[in-house]
Amino acid sequence: MRSGGPDRYQGYPMDVELIEIRDYLASHPPFDLLPGAALDRLPRKLAVRYFRRGTPFPPQGQGDTPQIYILRRGAVELRNAGGELLGKLAEGDICPLHCQLEGAPTGYVGVTVEDTLVYELPCTELAALRERHEAFAQHFDHSVAQRLRKAIDTLKEGPGTGVRLMTVRVGDLIGSHLVAATPQASIREAARIMTEHRVSSLIIMDGERLAGMITDRDLRSRCIVAGLSPEEPVSRIMTDKLHTTSTASLGFQALIAMTRLNVHHLPVMEDGRVVGVVSTSDFVRIQSANSVYLVGDIHKAKSLEVLIQISAKVPELQVQLATGGATADQVGQAVSAITDALTSRLLEMAEADLGPPPVPYVWMAGGSQARREQSSHSDQDNALLIADHMKPEDDAWFAALAKRVNDGLNACGYVYCPGEVMASNPKWRQPMRMWRKYFTNWIERPDPMALMLASVFFDLRPIRDPEGMFEELHEHVLSHSQANRIFVAYLTANAIKQRPPLGFFRNFVVIHGGEHDQTFDLKRRGTVPVIDMARVHALAAGLPEVNTLERIAAAAAHGSLSQEGAANLTDAMELIGTLRIRHQGQQLRRGEAADNFLAPDALSPLERGHLRDAFVLINSMQESLAQRYQAGRFT
Amino acid sequence: MFAHLLLDWRRRRLLRKAPPGPMREYLDRPLPRPGSEWRTVEFLALDLETTGLDYRKDAILSVGHVTLRGGRIELASADHRVVSIVGAIPEASAVIHQITDDQAALGEDLALVLGDLLGVLAGKVLIAHHAHVETSFIGRACRKVYGVGLLVPVVDTQVLAQRQFERRQIAYKGSDVRLHALGERYNLPRYAAHNALYDALSAAELFLAQAASLSDGRALPLRDLLA
Repeated sequence: MRSGGPDRYQGYPMDVELIEIRDYLASHPPFDLLPGAALDRLPRKLAVRYFRRGTPFPPQGQGDTPQIYILRRGAVELRNAGGELLGKLAEGDICPLHCQLEGAPTGYVGVTVEDTLVYELPCTELAALRERHEAFAQHFDHSVAQRLRKAIDTLKEGPGTGVRLMTVRVGDLIGSHLVAATPQASIREAARIMTEHRVSSLIIMDGERLAGMITDRDLRSRCIVAGLSPEEPVSRIMTDKLHTTSTASLGFQALIAMTRLNVHHLPVMEDGRVVGVVSTSDFVRIQSANSVYLVGDIHKAKSLEVLIQISAKVPELQVQLATGGATADQVGQAVSAITDALTSRLLEMAEADLGPPPVPYVWMAGGSQARREQSSHSDQDNALLIADHMKPEDDAWFAALAKRVNDGLNACGYVYCPGEVMASNPKWRQPMRMWRKYFTNWIERPDPMALMLASVFFDLRPIRDPEGMFEELHEHVLSHSQANRIFVAYLTANAIKQRPPLGFFRNFVVIHGGEHDQTFDLKRRGTVPVIDMARVHALAAGLPEVNTLERIAAAAAHGSLSQEGAANLTDAMELIGTLRIRHQGQQLRRGEAADNFLAPDALSPLERGHLRDAFVLINSMQESLAQRYQAGRFT
Repeated sequence: MFAHLLLDWRRRRLLRKAPPGPMREYLDRPLPRPGSEWRTVEFLALDLETTGLDYRKDAILSVGHVTLRGGRIELASADHRVVSIVGAIPEASAVIHQITDDQAALGEDLALVLGDLLGVLAGKVLIAHHAHVETSFIGRACRKVYGVGLLVPVVDTQVLAQRQFERRQIAYKGSDVRLHALGERYNLPRYAAHNALYDALSAAELFLAQAASLSDGRALPLRDLLA
């Protein structure tokens, strides 16, 4: 056709002619993995076809050469021979099923559910591209699960300031040699060693074994203030039941552990031997404002006003962590640790005003705080468990306590629970025998109300429990739930009711109208299904874990969930949760209130692809959960 | 059927008049039969950018086209050509098409572009949106270059749209039958670029959507689509 020389096209080079189609491909995986020159040539290898809504897809017969299809407009549903929905294709998706790729599922029947315009690329062209471009080829080799794992790695690397905290290992934070003393050394000798080495803590070693640790604070409070002779052996003032971390742990994980335990030093282990101590001051070099300091401030706070000021910093902390590349799990741990500290401090302040409790009690947190998955300033869910020997008149004291703490949390931004699941509600302020009865009823006679409460009360954690009463209730719940298959089946049916979206459609996923027009709910459709599944696993197997990722890991260790299934669920939870945290971070930075409503447009096509991978995994895990616990009978 | 016989009779008459070269080769190819199923017919979607709407005074600036075969738009066939014109481009149309005098001067001779166009158009049905512009400008250019006008069966996507509105007794405005408004109606991609090739591609895509809608799974003869 073209007969002129190359000069003819000055200003109109051939490659720009179909540039809009080239750019469209370049912004959609896996074509984004192709080098520019290959992308330039790609549009001319395509054909355009159009199918009305309700047309079999791909069209049969006509001696067509096999093609892959790239959806430019419209949507396609894929069903198996039984008519069951297997997947949906939306704009930007590719359908490579007819190029006989290894591992590609067969037996699909497709139908367009919207008027659909596709680009066809012959399988022979696809094969040539795969041969020449390795990264592009890998897209087809990798399973959904592998792609997702890679995406999480990319997300974690993230931009921003606090990155080092996410990547630095504890082993890199500690000094090169261990400063230690024997249990028989005198307190004076231990103090001398600490001064000489300018350290704030000292490891006590009994031979090769870690016997304990002392800190500056122990020297002050347990020796000098207590009037103990400095000639006494150091073992008298050391802490011997120690939490430890390892050299391989991420700095952030150690920091989270310290926040949770409210300690400032952690012995560091390697191959079963103690090799050093990591302290909060080691982190100061890396990140100035973090949850450890907020928690410290909370414990020192003297008034509600101060607590309100401190809790106003929580959104800022969440933004910092998110920009630092923290995962949703890490943010949830940090934010929940702060809520725990606030709750404890409010309880202490209330007790100081009201006098000591008439009988022992447990302050219990439910829902996301219990699972340590809170994001900044969610609703409060809590309840009071009171010793059975309480007298009727004692309730006035507990009602006053509950009111102060509920009001205090509300003032700090943890708004009242809309469902009234709070200790100030008399229904949720009960002695042990009533709580046992509640749970027995919920488990043995499951009804919609019980299932609604399940997400709050089957995720329960003691915040203040000086007498260790909670354990008894928890054991009661787990032994009952484990033994009751009908309850588990009900819970399963509930957990798989909310299916994650399998595609992104203008008419399918997004909310229409109202405040959240054209968005979808990352929490309800993404993380909640995983949380629900993890709960089923924990209650069915009697596992005490409450945190979702810990429940998944425990279920895998127990054998009720496959190792692969556990890894997939963990990855899906992390990806969706991390996108949610990032979305909220962006809102908080703009000074808006954080929510869970994400506009699909806010995601890059690549992220949309990863999110879809996560949804596909969740969906298949729901299928296997249903099979395992026979939910079919109740749905 | 009678219209086709008439058209074919004119083709054979013009063939005798046409000088040797592209036009004679073009006319030598039989026209597609109106009774053929539309998918077995080859089409060429064409769009022109011109300096104005009057084919007697205004000039062709650029030509964009793409071939349809077997119900598919073959992007490999996409072609965009700039025509060199004598005289300055009126300012208003230069703004719309973003073609400057310099670029137009770099373009090709109209006769060359026209010859190539007849080469790909032979044996095909022309698709254009508001096809009068394309047929009148190309017809005049053919008369100037070859001494005979353009003889081609035409599918006008605007006429198809108007018929569809009328058949359903839906009132419509002029703006409802513009290319981009119809594209939206059929869930077609919207291209940011405004040049002859993308408009030809948009017309081709609109045609596929209209044909799919009219056939609705049944056989659809070419005659039902012709203007």
